Amino acid sequence: MSRRLKDFVAPTGVFLLAIIIWYLISTVVIDEGRRFLLPPPDAVVRVAFLDPVNLKDLLAGLGLSARVALTGLVLATVIGLSLATVMSQARWLEKSLFPYAVVLQTVPILALVPLFGYWFGFGFESRVLTCVLIALFPIVANALFGLQSVDPALHQLFSLHGANRLTRLWKLQLPSALPAIFTGLRISAGAAVIGAVVGDFFFQQGQPGIGQLIYIYPRRLQSEMLFAAVILASLFGLAVFWLFGLASRRVTAWHASQEPNPLSPGGNK
Amino acid sequence: MANLLTIKDLSVRYPTGTLALDGVSLSLAAGEFVAIVGPSGCGKSTLLKVAAGLLAPTEGSVAKTSDHIGFVFQDPTLLPWRSVRKNVELIGELRGMSRDDRQKAATEAIAKVGLSDFAQDRPSTLSGGMRMRASLARTLITRPELMLFDEPFGALDELTRAKLCDDVQTLFVADQFAGLLVTHSISEAVYLAERVLVMTDRPGRFAGEVPVPFDYPRPPDIRYTPEFAKTTAGVYSLLQPPSTSEDGK
Repeated sequence: MSRRLKDFVAPTGVFLLAIIIWYLISTVVIDEGRRFLLPPPDAVVRVAFLDPVNLKDLLAGLGLSARVALTGLVLATVIGLSLATVMSQARWLEKSLFPYAVVLQTVPILALVPLFGYWFGFGFESRVLTCVLIALFPIVANALFGLQSVDPALHQLFSLHGANRLTRLWKLQLPSALPAIFTGLRISAGAAVIGAVVGDFFFQQGQPGIGQLIYIYPRRLQSEMLFAAVILASLFGLAVFWLFGLASRRVTAWHASQEPNPLSPGGNK
Repeated sequence: MANLLTIKDLSVRYPTGTLALDGVSLSLAAGEFVAIVGPSGCGKSTLLKVAAGLLAPTEGSVAKTSDHIGFVFQDPTLLPWRSVRKNVELIGELRGMSRDDRQKAATEAIAKVGLSDFAQDRPSTLSGGMRMRASLARTLITRPELMLFDEPFGALDELTRAKLCDDVQTLFVADQFAGLLVTHSISEAVYLAERVLVMTDRPGRFAGEVPVPFDYPRPPDIRYTPEFAKTTAGVYSLLQPPSTSEDGK
């Protein structure tokens, strides 16, 4: 079997197996009265995705959460990269600022969400802020690591030819840090989606996002819709993660991490 | 001939307290090629970094009559996201050359090291020798008056090393820069330099100097002549056994 075919067949096989197991548990293991605990996949598709009214609700919820997540991610990226750049310029700046970034990461986000509600209301702004806080740290930590990991000989080369801080940052540190920055972005992209769902789930007011739908559906025993909402939220998270992976591969094609995996058969050719 | 580089009574102590160099003096005239050999860790590279202005002396003085310096590092130190051409242009960018000038100079420098067919390639697709050539081309773009070579061929195989030595000699003869080469290889030092300075183990001091009695350009098979062997033996005898400080220059 060719490698390309194998790359396609194996994941498809695993996916089909998961669907079959889901179907069997739903129809054979669980009796009909309790089937709402795990509705079969065809029912989820029929009720949630083939019914235009239900699908519209789901897509509207997903659209709002996507807007929240992407706005949060963009803001977290701008703030995170700016902070990392500032911290990379001097050890004392890093020592002064980094502990607060760590605090942001360690404070339970759910403990802060009610405060955001008090300060900024229960609308779009608070939800975006939740996303920013949850997505900020991976960007700061990874970007700072990348900016500080430049080969010292390259720094010497730039010093030898009188490069100033800005030139060094723009022509050396930032390009060199791109693989680390994208690693942080991929983690933060997933975190921003979780932040959007969590914020939505918690605030419970205004136009419902996908998190709010996930809260509402089980209370109405609409388990097909609940499963569809969870699937859509997960697919959105996956799509964002995949998009950043794709962008990363394009932008950092020069980096060793984009070489074929030497541990896989034929990978070191 | 006027000295391009004059180092007097140079001592360098690292922040850890290690004395890397102790009372080293050296002068290099314009258009002269000098090699420094010595055991690993004797402070050869430190001396070169002080000469380049990358490291401050603890004691002593360093005087240069030109800021037009090229530094060839132990590794090619190319930016992996840039093509060979863009890597070569980098120094022009840092030195404020106009776009036209640096493009022209890069084309010339790349041709000089024989990489014209690979100008658009990224460093990761090139062999070790080709990367080092790209690094040489990058250094040549601003036509430096003083070239500092920090063990540039150490990581390469014997054949590639010999070929690159020939290339450096060709460039030296054509461009007439002054060269200061730090190397572990006695044969390389004798092949390229007009005189070879021998350093002691740490703290580095000069144990002596061996003049090389060959004119440029030197054919590759000069390495197999009795006189070449005699000169390398002269360098080797200064390296073994370790010299005392009284021998220092």
